[in-house]
Amino acid sequence: MQTTRTDWGRRQPPIGGSSFELQAWFFMRVSGLVLVFLAVWHMFIMHVFNDTLNLDYEFVAARWETPYWRAFDWLLLALSLLHGTNGLRVVIHDNIADKTIKKLAHSALYGTSLIFFIIGTYAIVAFVRQV
Amino acid sequence: MAYQKIVSTGSVYKGKTGMWLYVFHRVTGVGLFGYLLLHIISTALILLGPEIYEGAEAVYKNFYFRVAEIGLMAAVLGHAINGLRIITVDLWSKGSDFQKQLNFVSLFIFLVIFIPTTYKMTTSYFDLCLEKSSSGTTVVDCIIRPIPDWK
Ligand code: HEM
Repeated sequence: MQTTRTDWGRRQPPIGGSSFELQAWFFMRVSGLVLVFLAVWHMFIMHVFNDTLNLDYEFVAARWETPYWRAFDWLLLALSLLHGTNGLRVVIHDNIADKTIKKLAHSALYGTSLIFFIIGTYAIVAFVRQV
Repeated sequence: MAYQKIVSTGSVYKGKTGMWLYVFHRVTGVGLFGYLLLHIISTALILLGPEIYEGAEAVYKNFYFRVAEIGLMAAVLGHAINGLRIITVDLWSKGSDFQKQLNFVSLFIFLVIFIPTTYKMTTSYFDLCLEKSSSGTTVVDCIIRPIPDWK
């Protein structure tokens, strides 16, 4: 297929493959848009409006007293893990040719993401102030 | 095969800006994912109580990590703004006609947000370090001490 212009710096929408690939492609764009608010806002709260030098137990405990911040943090956890895991799935696919090693790498990725999702969710849901 | 090679536009490694933006997006994406895993662990330590959580946080409270945090900010802002650029090219029907302009706009937006942010993160580090450390502490102390003597 001859194109007269180059489409710079992005993956092409995988038209014609399985519908999963197209949905994954679309998911990266939708989750990216939501992460602009969640991840960038999170960075500004922690690093610009506050300073991480002041970050202590009390700061987190006070934040998680409101269910809204727990919801915000959990959404950020879930979306960034999903977005990052799907991104890495593509990176692994692009860079590992051997089918067996590719399968192993993908399984390791999914396993790791699942464990971290459980740890993060558990921390956000189960946290009870001790002092 | 040779014919396909000449007309193929399948590869993103075409050189120039587009290729480097692609590499940039990939490197920051993978880097952010790695940092995310570390961040989930260090935040989950809050379940083990104030001593352990603040003991872990203390590792981050020095100038080397402040530089790393500014790098983290650059990665998040850069990946986010470049991601918005990618989404614009994908969804706007004229997007691929204005890629050069979009690249410049993205860089401009990045700098407008990143420069004041870096300024705040740097000045705030020294202000807090001098305020919280024992008297006689200098700016140089704040830079070279691995873990300053604040809580
Ligand atoms: C802050 C807002 C964010 C936006 C707007 C965004 C946007 C995007 C977009 C549109 C893609 C797809 C690129 C393509 O298909 O060519 C992508 C890829 C990716 N993103 Fe994000 N993202 C954001 C945050 C994050 C975060 C927090 C992480 C880390 C967990 C991350 C990790 C990745 C990875 C690993 C890829 C795959 C890179 C590749 O295939 O080359 N992103 N991002």
